[in-house]
Amino acid sequence: MNQSTPSVIRAMQLADSGFPSGVFAFSWGLEGALADNQVSRQSLGDWIATELRSRWYRFDRVALAGGYQRRDTALGYWFETIDTLMPLEQLRRHSLQAGDALFASARALRIGLDDGALLAHQNGIGHFAPAHGAFMRGCGLDLSGALAASAYGMARGAFSTAVRLGVSGAITTQRDLLALAPLIAELASDLPKDGDLPSGFMPLSDVALMRPVSGRLFIN
Amino acid sequence: MTAARVGIGGPGGSAVGSGKTALIEAMLQELADAGIDTAVITNDLVTDEDAERLRRGGKLPPDRVRAVQAGACPHTVIREDPTLNMAAADRLEADFPGLDLILIESGGDNLASTFSPDLVDFWMFVIDVAGGDDIPRKKGPGILQANLLIINKVDLAPHVGVDFPKMLAEARMVRSGAPVLPTICRKGDGVADVVAHLRREVLFK
Repeated sequence: MNQSTPSVIRAMQLADSGFPSGVFAFSWGLEGALADNQVSRQSLGDWIATELRSRWYRFDRVALAGGYQRRDTALGYWFETIDTLMPLEQLRRHSLQAGDALFASARALRIGLDDGALLAHQNGIGHFAPAHGAFMRGCGLDLSGALAASAYGMARGAFSTAVRLGVSGAITTQRDLLALAPLIAELASDLPKDGDLPSGFMPLSDVALMRPVSGRLFIN
Repeated sequence: MTAARVGIGGPGGSAVGSGKTALIEAMLQELADAGIDTAVITNDLVTDEDAERLRRGGKLPPDRVRAVQAGACPHTVIREDPTLNMAAADRLEADFPGLDLILIESGGDNLASTFSPDLVDFWMFVIDVAGGDDIPRKKGPGILQANLLIINKVDLAPHVGVDFPKMLAEARMVRSGAPVLPTICRKGDGVADVVAHLRREVLFK
């Protein structure tokens, strides 16, 4: 065992689907996109790759890194910034809902979070992505590991959604997930620069996230 | 965290259920009469149907009924990853200081459904006679491990060919004497016994 082994194991634990953070109930718009026939079994991997390159890379990656790097008042301002940058009310509400679950997980697991994050949660702007950054830091991960765990978790969660909706099989999705590994590694290794702000407009999945679906199984 | 958290699970779906929501509706009046400050969280597999039904019932102010969507996995949200429910319960306690009891209704699931001890202090499993008198014999963690097993709709027994005394005896036998209570929730029969059990075993009041 070399010195990095415990941190690798910690990253594996945090990226594992069994780690309780509430994200299993979110589909990242995939459920709506499937209902609209924008995605099929064949194009599922491409859809998730596009989400990684767009929503995750441009928004979640930057929001998470800011949540990881900032402290106290600066972190509080960062949560306010993220809140301002979410004009889609449904997306904003669901981000807060997912954040709520993550804060509940931190309380239950006694993971110490920065006061700036706790105050943001108290003030009703405890968004998931920056909270995830503060959470990963509290767990002792370095920023690269935190970003890799986040990107992997997003892809793994979307594939898991597809399995539960009966669109793809558990074997196929593992093959597809492995095919995305180089992309996940490439995107996660690009650390945001000082002054970077999250941005993101993904027309297909944004519309899918907002579309009311009769008989919806996932939160979004 | 001061409010007792009580899970209510059981087989069934939104169309044909064992009576989990009906049990809560019937319990709310009894709990209010006993001065027990209560809130409810529902876990719907699809939509907010159960939460809306409880809000429409008017036994609780609408903001004391919160809905959690289960992400196609009714058991995951109460067992493997209960954080969405924990967050909803924490919110209720913050919004209503002094709350005595939070009832957490699971979505309809199967006989293997159980509640995480991280989420609840006590949990009940609701089955009904129309589901068949062989359900207790099939066992399953829901039947065996629940703190309280409720057999609902006992008035339907003669109409569905169920020998209810035999079903009740088998349920008590497979549970090795752990409590089993019969109810007819739509008529309120047996619900006072359920509330009395909760007051004695969980609320201590």
